[in-house]
Amino acid sequence: MVVKRSTERTEKEVEYTRLRIPFGPVHPALKEPVLLRISVRGEEIIDVDMTLGHVHRGIESLAEGRNLIQTLYLIERICGICSHSHTTCFIQALEEIGSIIPSERALYLRTLIFEMERIHSHLLLLGVMAYEIGFDTLFMFTWHVREKILDLFEKITGNRIHHAMNTIGGVRWDLTSQMAGEVKAYMREIEKSTKYIHSAFTDGTVEKRICNLGVLDYNDAIKLCVVGPTARGSGVNIDVRKDHPYAAYDELKGDFSVITRKDGDVYARTEVRIFEVFESINIIKAILDRLPNGSIRPEENVFRIMKRIPEGEAVSLVEAPRGELLYFVKTDGKGGLIRLKVRTPTFSNLLSLKRMLVGCEIADIPVIVASIDPCLSCTNRVTIINQEKGKSKVIDMDSLRRMVRRKWMRR
Amino acid sequence: MKSPWIFHLNTGSCNGCDIEIVAAFTPRYDLERFGCLLVGSPRHADVLLVTGPVTRQMLPRLIRVYEQIPEPKVVVAVGTCASSGSPFLGSEMVEGPVDRIIPVDAYIVGCPPRPEAIARGIIMAVMSKFR
Amino acid sequence: MDAAIAFLISPPAVLLISLLFEGIDRKIHARMQKRIGPPVTQPFYDLIKLFSKERIVPITASARVFETMPMIAAAVSLLGASILLSNILSGSSVIGDLILVMYLLAMSSVALMIGGSASGNPYGVVGFSRKMSMMIAYEIPMFIAIISVAFGSSPSLAINNIIRFQISLGLPLAASRPSMALAAATFLLCMPAAASVVPFDIPEAKTEIIYGFLIEYGGPYLALAKIAKAVSNFALTLLASAVFLYVPLLLGENVLLNLGISLSLCLIESLLIMFVTITVPRTVLARLKIGQAFKFYWMLPLILSISSIILSSVGL
Ligand code: SF4
Repeated sequence: MVVKRSTERTEKEVEYTRLRIPFGPVHPALKEPVLLRISVRGEEIIDVDMTLGHVHRGIESLAEGRNLIQTLYLIERICGICSHSHTTCFIQALEEIGSIIPSERALYLRTLIFEMERIHSHLLLLGVMAYEIGFDTLFMFTWHVREKILDLFEKITGNRIHHAMNTIGGVRWDLTSQMAGEVKAYMREIEKSTKYIHSAFTDGTVEKRICNLGVLDYNDAIKLCVVGPTARGSGVNIDVRKDHPYAAYDELKGDFSVITRKDGDVYARTEVRIFEVFESINIIKAILDRLPNGSIRPEENVFRIMKRIPEGEAVSLVEAPRGELLYFVKTDGKGGLIRLKVRTPTFSNLLSLKRMLVGCEIADIPVIVASIDPCLSCTNRVTIINQEKGKSKVIDMDSLRRMVRRKWMRR
Repeated sequence: MKSPWIFHLNTGSCNGCDIEIVAAFTPRYDLERFGCLLVGSPRHADVLLVTGPVTRQMLPRLIRVYEQIPEPKVVVAVGTCASSGSPFLGSEMVEGPVDRIIPVDAYIVGCPPRPEAIARGIIMAVMSKFR
Repeated sequence: MDAAIAFLISPPAVLLISLLFEGIDRKIHARMQKRIGPPVTQPFYDLIKLFSKERIVPITASARVFETMPMIAAAVSLLGASILLSNILSGSSVIGDLILVMYLLAMSSVALMIGGSASGNPYGVVGFSRKMSMMIAYEIPMFIAIISVAFGSSPSLAINNIIRFQISLGLPLAASRPSMALAAATFLLCMPAAASVVPFDIPEAKTEIIYGFLIEYGGPYLALAKIAKAVSNFALTLLASAVFLYVPLLLGENVLLNLGISLSLCLIESLLIMFVTITVPRTVLARLKIGQAFKFYWMLPLILSISSIILSSVGL
């Protein structure tokens, strides 16, 4: 008798051999909650399912009940890593509606903080990558370097994380010449350290862990509409700073180039980030060399400016550290908002995770997830829609105050 | 108690507080010199650091993590969000602040608080609870 | 020293020293990362705290297995280490030989593994399967290395005979013949995996599977698991220093007679071995994947150990 062995596994067998592992929402590799439901066979990942919304705080809906200045500080708190990108994007939309043109110096300062934030964000991510692959020493080193950027932030804006630099029509803090010197000196230091980090990422066990992993090729990148370093790591040449220059990038165009890599693996994405740090350092140096003189904002009293913003709508784009960030703003002409819509880069990038993860091992999940640099607090802000009534709820300032009071009374 | 092990739970924070907590373990601040460790499983932890205003989806997780931590335990609310809920107060999706859900032993305010403040808050909370 | 007394004082001494070693390891690790680091006595504080915490057994766990396994793990590794130490202390080998020690140490990880997989947590299961493959990867070369010692020295596996043999040679075993050098190299290469530290902490990877089989253990159980780990790490380093590189004999006869000096030399040496095989790798390397670790162990150490056993059987 000839026993024919089928090489194909039946459905049932697959069902038996797979183990479902929840990755998150509370997991040490994730600093923010997301739930990936992962099915594995042995160590191999065969399916990924994603659940979002754990950080959903209803910011868009809250914003619609507050005035513009309050909203400015609210959306700064969408994300602690790219807060300046969010405010810049928002302010740009407002300035477009109100046809306010900030002074050159203000634009340059905005750009300066923007690029410092990019360095900060990229270094943070490089540290996290090192942490995910169990390389604690590199993580410690990278975050130690990052502290220097935070010091600069503190010197310039008075705050380490939420800089509160932007205001309608300009910026809130000026850069003294002494500060400028310090920034320059620090930049040299950071350049050196980043070179060292790069060499650490290219050697031995680190390279083994991140090369040829989580590959997203050019066509998939285009199809899935990924943005930012994730796209550039797959060879897609997009960068809002070049394509639709904003702030002072128009004049700084010649001072930086867009970094792209072809491989589309985790290493390529990491390398894109490392080299973007160098580009950012170049931009900062150019800014400090050419910083124009002038006032930094049109008027002390922001409320007067706020009142001047008419009814209208605008779309604004910036290149946040993680990619293209889009805001749609619709004002009501009375200092408030009718609609705010934020489309964050992580939202575009998250879907590509599935393509990257399937076929890899459990051990690769943290690295791959980190490699697209997910910023989930950015992503999770869908407007609240009351399912029963089928309409979105908008809370006005008064009822908000009332609610706050009630809340405090209840306690 | 000389070895508070810390579990960090993000209940919808903006990341600012989370990175400051991690920063508190990096060389400049080095919380480990007080014996603190950032652990990944609530079963190992003594101190629960909560950041964020507690969104609706994270509410059951918060309670579950709190219950998973073996007694005696300390809860520290890090950041203005976790302490009082602002600026997210009034949102439909926010169930916080944290002390409406679980008992909190210490509040560290600031948006975000500095790593020094976080270190001090943790140490003081542990000291007062365990003596 | 009398064997009975030696065996009586060994367990507490082992516990003390191994925790101290862990503290030193953590301190050096921190200093290498430009941090101040915890005090050297930190592991003691950790244990005291863990023992005073509430015991929780998850409902998904099979309680008996889950509860007893950490105790078995701690007891077994403590026993293994004490046999080793009391052999060195007493200068006689009545109690046990190398194979027994190795077996006890391996058993302690197996016990933890089983306990963790009984927790009902999927990460525990993944940790179990990972540890299983890791053990196959490193235990085989390690055992072959130990067996080739038996071929090489006086055909005995009694620890004391090996030490005597080294003394009579006037050379540490690793320096006596090429085969023994290979065996020693194999043993040292297997150390990081046996201690499960980065790059081979795959079964306990924090960022991947949240400590694997330790995930559900808390309080006293975790303390026992920690003891088991610290003690078996110490036992391995002591084993390496006593069997392969017994340095006290380099200082001549009169030093050998003084138990205190030779013992402390031995301990200092195992501290050095720990630094080289545990602290340094875990500071300067990144974690490997299970396939890569497997490949590494079945390439280098396995070949080394097999060539060592072939060489030693032909008398080299
Ligand atoms: S307190 Fe501030 S920094 Fe902390 S989570 Fe809330 S908004 Fe972010």
